Amino acid sequence: MDYRENTDELAFRQRVRAWVTDNAPRNWRAETKTEEQMGALLRAWHRKLFEGGLVGLSWPTEFGGQGLTPTYEAILNDELGAADTPRVSFHAYLGRAIFTYGTQAQKQHFLPAMLRGDMQWCQGFSEPGAGSDLAGLRTYAELRGDKYVVNGQKMWTSGAQHADWCVMLVRTNRDVPKHKGISCLLTPTNVPGITIRPIKISDGSPETCEMFFDDVEIPVENRIGDEGAGWRIAMTVLSYERGPADIGFIATLKSTLRRLEGLAEETGRANDPEIRKAIARAYVVGEALRLNVMEQLSQRVAGKPPGPDGSVARLLLTQAEQTVRRLELELTGADALTGRDESDAFGAYLRSRTISIFGGTSEIQKNILANQVLGLPKA
Amino acid sequence: MRVNTPADIASIDLDKAWRTLAEAGLLAMRARDGGAPMSSGVDVMFAVEELGAALAPAPLVGALLATELFTLADAPAALIDTLTNGEARYAIALSRQLDGLADASALAGVVCFGAEGANAALALKRDGEARYLVVLPLANARVLDGADPTRRLSAFTEAPVGEVVGTALSQDALDRWTALALALVCADMVGAMRQGLKEAVEYAKTRIQYDVPIGSFQAVQHMLAEMLVQTEAAASVTRYAAWSVDALGVAESLLAARTAKAYCGAATQVLSETLMQSYGGIGQTWEHVAHLRARRALFDRALFGDESHQLLRIADARMGRA
Ligand SMILES: Cc1cc2nc3c(=O)[nH]c(=O)nc-3n(C[C@H](O)[C@H](O)[C@H](O)COP(=O)(O)OP(=O)(O)OC[C@H]3O[C@@H](n4cnc5c(N)ncnc54)[C@H](O)[C@@H]3O)c2cc1C
Repeated sequence: MDYRENTDELAFRQRVRAWVTDNAPRNWRAETKTEEQMGALLRAWHRKLFEGGLVGLSWPTEFGGQGLTPTYEAILNDELGAADTPRVSFHAYLGRAIFTYGTQAQKQHFLPAMLRGDMQWCQGFSEPGAGSDLAGLRTYAELRGDKYVVNGQKMWTSGAQHADWCVMLVRTNRDVPKHKGISCLLTPTNVPGITIRPIKISDGSPETCEMFFDDVEIPVENRIGDEGAGWRIAMTVLSYERGPADIGFIATLKSTLRRLEGLAEETGRANDPEIRKAIARAYVVGEALRLNVMEQLSQRVAGKPPGPDGSVARLLLTQAEQTVRRLELELTGADALTGRDESDAFGAYLRSRTISIFGGTSEIQKNILANQVLGLPKA
Repeated sequence: MRVNTPADIASIDLDKAWRTLAEAGLLAMRARDGGAPMSSGVDVMFAVEELGAALAPAPLVGALLATELFTLADAPAALIDTLTNGEARYAIALSRQLDGLADASALAGVVCFGAEGANAALALKRDGEARYLVVLPLANARVLDGADPTRRLSAFTEAPVGEVVGTALSQDALDRWTALALALVCADMVGAMRQGLKEAVEYAKTRIQYDVPIGSFQAVQHMLAEMLVQTEAAASVTRYAAWSVDALGVAESLLAARTAKAYCGAATQVLSETLMQSYGGIGQTWEHVAHLRARRALFDRALFGDESHQLLRIADARMGRA
């Protein structure tokens, strides 16, 4: 493989960079004080990206995508990450469920609006009793005539506070083995019977939500795939969530590291060999992530769909992000602990702890590698 | 050429192994054909990885690095031909800490790497600012009892009279050489560890305790999964370093190589320890392959500079000299 971008890719990168410079919201972290402001900002930014021709780059053209290779998606994410823009990424992998398993009518109805940013989405898989053991989910959808009546609770539904729609896993059959009784529903979030409450995470921000369902009626045509096919759909979605789409993270890591090198300089620690080694070490683990992701990306371009080996990149992402944030905490020193620090190093450190949890904990990623890649027998 | 137990080393005909390398064209991989190397850095990486996987006692890395030094010093083509066809064999003289080419004026504690069958070793000689390649005869050299029995080391017993070859080596040339050296050593580690993991996984599927294969215990699964992650990451950084040898400028290529070496160096210690752990008692025995992999990897880890050495130089490259 060649690690260099070809002329088309380079031209695309330059176009994106110029476009981002002209269009990205500035100062948005400081200026969005409330969740409403944040929701409005995300929506406006998504629409702007769409108008700039930058949404759905690797999606088929028939649904409003651009039919490009995943490399372009990666370049875009890299530029957006480098410019520290807001992240509008949910549609990218949730849309996979619809265009892989949806009917023609569903695709026509949802995908263009999803790409335009007219419909914001969230992922309602986890529940209080079903985290790692996702197939143990209990939210029940009972078929009555031409609609499902849904009762139960979802937890950790990130972005639900800003979402119009939710890709949701529900139990439709309690009498078959747990993986076989799950179906996938597309649910509007503003229908009667749904209550959404924010969950604050450790840094104090309302990052994620819980959703309660009380006799919520969902038309049967909102089911994706057959009844009972929900597990397979969930696995497809998760393989994309865990995959190299995370490349936007890499740009953020890189710019954070540059900032930390500056911080070491300012605080007079840039000559301390231990600090120099720690900074270089963060660079090295970031490179391991970047280069592994590039290999996986080149396999994607060659047509290989993401598989269980995506967990390697996911664990490397965890290693890199957590190494950098520990370093940031170390370099910020007492300022991070006393409120004198305005860069929110402590918050960033706490948020980095979630990387080894969401989308499957690190332990679950290792289980996947052990069973599905190394072929070790199930416990 | 495969080593599975220490006894295998003595039973391998090393001269024959050398001829095999020569006949397969492996020694000539980095020979120049109209300026460009015959094989890309990535192809060489694959070959070195194979030999690392087999723990092969054949000094391919040393031989390729010797050829590269002669080439960079503009040595006569006829001389280089004797290396690439396997007629002449040169070792690499290493500084006491193993972190670079030895200085010919201070040979105390210097060891020669890739010394199997070699009758001379290569070192650097300073003349003011200029550095030259010198050939040091290995007559009466003493074979050392090094940690890694799969690759012979030797030391000079008397100060040899060196002979300068070719023209002065520029800093660029030396940096290019270091980048190649680091990439190849990483490839050797990756080969040794990838194969180690493969074998450990097989063992975990067949070794029964509590009536089930040990590979069904999550503690064992997580050890092996972590090895997979670290081995794959090591392979990714190594591949980029090997690619960059031909494709990028000197500074970038050297940074890629140091990055790879820092990553592989740190990973390989944990990997070889975990490998020994995953086998239980049998993995602690002399006859078992696990310690041979650890020995090879730990030698590679130090060869041309360990993690700490590389990290400080990476920091220099990114932040300016301290
Ligand atoms: C910030 C954040 C955002 C999230 N966003 C979403 C979202 O948008 N949509 C969504 O559906 N979900 C989301 N999640 C949920 C996330 O996927 C789950 O939290 C995660 O899968 C773990 O489940 P759990 O929290 O129930 O932990 P548990 O499963 O209870 O795990 C507790 C501990 O036990 C370990 N453990 C459990 N089972 C095993 C096993 N088999 N082997 C070894 N160790 C095991 C875990 O590794 C962990 O250390 C989010 C979570 C967070 C924190």
